Amino acid sequence: MNVEALKDLLYKIADDQLILGHRNSEWTGLGPLLEEDIAFSSMAQDKVGQSYAFYQLLEQLGEQKPDTIAFHRSAENFKNCQLVELPNQEYDFSLIRHFLFDKAELLRFELLSQSSYEPLALLSKKLLGEVRYHVMHADAFIKQLGSATEESILRLQTSLNEALPYALGIFEPSDLEMDIINDGIFAGEEALKERWIETVFTTISKTELNLADIDSITPIYGGRRGIHTEHLQPLLNEMTEVLNLDPSAEW
Amino acid sequence: MYGGGNVFETIKSVEIADEDPIKLYEFEERIDRGEKIEPRDWMPDLYRKQLIRMIEQHAHSEIIGALPEGTWITRAPGFRRKMALMAKVQDEVGHAQLLYSAAETLGKPREQMIIDLINGKSKYSNIFNYPAFTWADCSFISWLVDAGAIVNQLANAKGSYGPYCRALERICAEESFHLKYGHHCVIHLATGSPIQRKMMQEAVNRWWPPMMHFFGPADKISIHSETLMRWKVKMASNDAMRQQFLDMYVPKIWELGLTIPDPKMKKNEETGKWEYTEPDWEEFKRVINGDGPCNKERLAVRRIAEERGAWVRRALLNKKAEYVQPLA
Amino acid sequence: MESLDPRINRLKSKAEWDEEIQKSAMDQFETYEVFIQIRENRPYEHVGIMHAPNEEMALIFGKEQYSRRYTCTGIFVVRTDHVKITAFSENEENIYEHMDLNGIQDGGESFEIFHLKKRGKQHIHVGKVEAGDYEGALSVSANLYNIGTPVYNVWVVKTSDILSIPPEDKMIWDTLPEKKFRDAMAYKAGDKIKEFKERNQK
Repeated sequence: MNVEALKDLLYKIADDQLILGHRNSEWTGLGPLLEEDIAFSSMAQDKVGQSYAFYQLLEQLGEQKPDTIAFHRSAENFKNCQLVELPNQEYDFSLIRHFLFDKAELLRFELLSQSSYEPLALLSKKLLGEVRYHVMHADAFIKQLGSATEESILRLQTSLNEALPYALGIFEPSDLEMDIINDGIFAGEEALKERWIETVFTTISKTELNLADIDSITPIYGGRRGIHTEHLQPLLNEMTEVLNLDPSAEW
Repeated sequence: MYGGGNVFETIKSVEIADEDPIKLYEFEERIDRGEKIEPRDWMPDLYRKQLIRMIEQHAHSEIIGALPEGTWITRAPGFRRKMALMAKVQDEVGHAQLLYSAAETLGKPREQMIIDLINGKSKYSNIFNYPAFTWADCSFISWLVDAGAIVNQLANAKGSYGPYCRALERICAEESFHLKYGHHCVIHLATGSPIQRKMMQEAVNRWWPPMMHFFGPADKISIHSETLMRWKVKMASNDAMRQQFLDMYVPKIWELGLTIPDPKMKKNEETGKWEYTEPDWEEFKRVINGDGPCNKERLAVRRIAEERGAWVRRALLNKKAEYVQPLA
Repeated sequence: MESLDPRINRLKSKAEWDEEIQKSAMDQFETYEVFIQIRENRPYEHVGIMHAPNEEMALIFGKEQYSRRYTCTGIFVVRTDHVKITAFSENEENIYEHMDLNGIQDGGESFEIFHLKKRGKQHIHVGKVEAGDYEGALSVSANLYNIGTPVYNVWVVKTSDILSIPPEDKMIWDTLPEKKFRDAMAYKAGDKIKEFKERNQK
């Protein structure tokens, strides 16, 4: 098995989860309704916890400790897609991102449950329950807000249009994509994307929102190769601000 | 978490003397028997109003209390702190939800409670009107302010009103992790590198005066407070809770090599009571009435959150929705 | 407004308003009573309320609020105004004995019955009955479920008013067991304190 290909995959999954979990935690205490605040914060925690589990898999493969990987890399070494590093803006953008990303994540874990790398298959199976809830939540919100008022429909549509090109960056193929597929590690980004388009469409078609023809959209790539927007480094600086007061100390 | 310093001001209410004497007798009998009062029971007007105010203040304290620690949520150093702090602040929002629910069973809608908070009409635990300047401040709050809140909660959990007691039971179960986490953070700072130790000591120096205010001034002895104790609304005196807190936590603070910025702080071995410099109660009054470093910001943030989220609530609202008081 | 909280600064919001905040009457929605099953085969128990715009949201919210820290195997919700309640009994008396059980027993509609056995505790689901109306349901329940210690208070709900998690989604209760950071036991630091004291004594 091409271990580099495996690590490449694990890094991008873990980095996606860490950055998105971090972004979503910015809403804690500031949500539109207490009950929703609780739910959204819970899901943010889940994401960060999941990223930790994936960094642990990397550690078992010879990479450094999770804290080191997560808190001591600079932006160009992160493999998350650009979608997850974008600022939160208003709740409509955060909900749309949550919807687009988590639908892909659920499908990814379902596919990874068949991975030839057993620790990965096991972990993915374990996470299905949590991510299934995330999708349940996202579907409910998009379905309801997507058919509710002129205002909510307009807001979601605008966010959807803005997010889609970035969302396609989730599926940016790795340089080692063929090995990932041939070694049975993962069915590949193309396979994932196909399933994703279908399930996104299924939900959107129950609303007043329009889903543009995916083939007509130019994906925004780069994240998987360490090319990021101007938002990632400030995010990382903030995330590591306290740690960097004394990097050798135990916090 | 929640603070004492709950000022049991006299509420303009139906005079107890005007309440139905038989019903009042049966009500007090039930409490003496150790039975809980439930939402649909008869209760004196004063009991209802005082409880609404107390539970509501507790709920507000949780949601406002999420803000100083929330300040550091994106900057927590390392995975274990990050996940724990995310969980802790989320718990506080969860506790607010549980407590508002308990207050609602007494007849005040949640909309009104939120309005009263944001308009400055309702109070919340005063300690949250101070700024969390550093990670050490955040850790102080997570440990010692939580510890104070637990002293308060454990007392109130034996109160007479069913829904409030049940909410407190759930809350107390979650608090044990908060306290241990907070203590763990402070231990690491206090016994860590010179930079960490300095940061922690400075935080203790800043937060000690508000912490001494936490349980409120000595209770004024009055028929009013006597009644509230008899009705198991007020469960322990402010001084008693303060003493309990000092007894449990001052030794633990000193054990870490931290100093407390009060030269008089010591336990009188003969009386068993802690002696200290009397806190500045004028400052307490000033801050709790709006003139503290963060009052404006705390309320502004709540308002910002409500207004930014209004479009979501507006969109989801079913026009046929009607108000019904919750059951239990 | 300059805050110490970078999240708040990113909101770039104003901090002064000309008017006091207003809220419409149902801004926080209606409430739903939430019932949780802690383990398979245990009865569902009332735990509290959720504010939500509809059943679907109430269920989604309730799942996170009531199973964040404790495991669960089931949840259902019902709008508060769909819960019919009896009076309370006193002094160890059974409320069933104080009811006028005159409702329509035939009718084939399904109802769920909940009993409160002790003041201060919460209602527990005891089972289903078939009847024509709420009073009828109480009559049937009086024959079927009125066993053992006295019942203080009864709640009746139409089965059709209840929403629960569909069976195909039961896996949402599986979460990473390794959530040690939420466990108080994971925070032992006695060694650190001991070490610190020893260092200072030198």
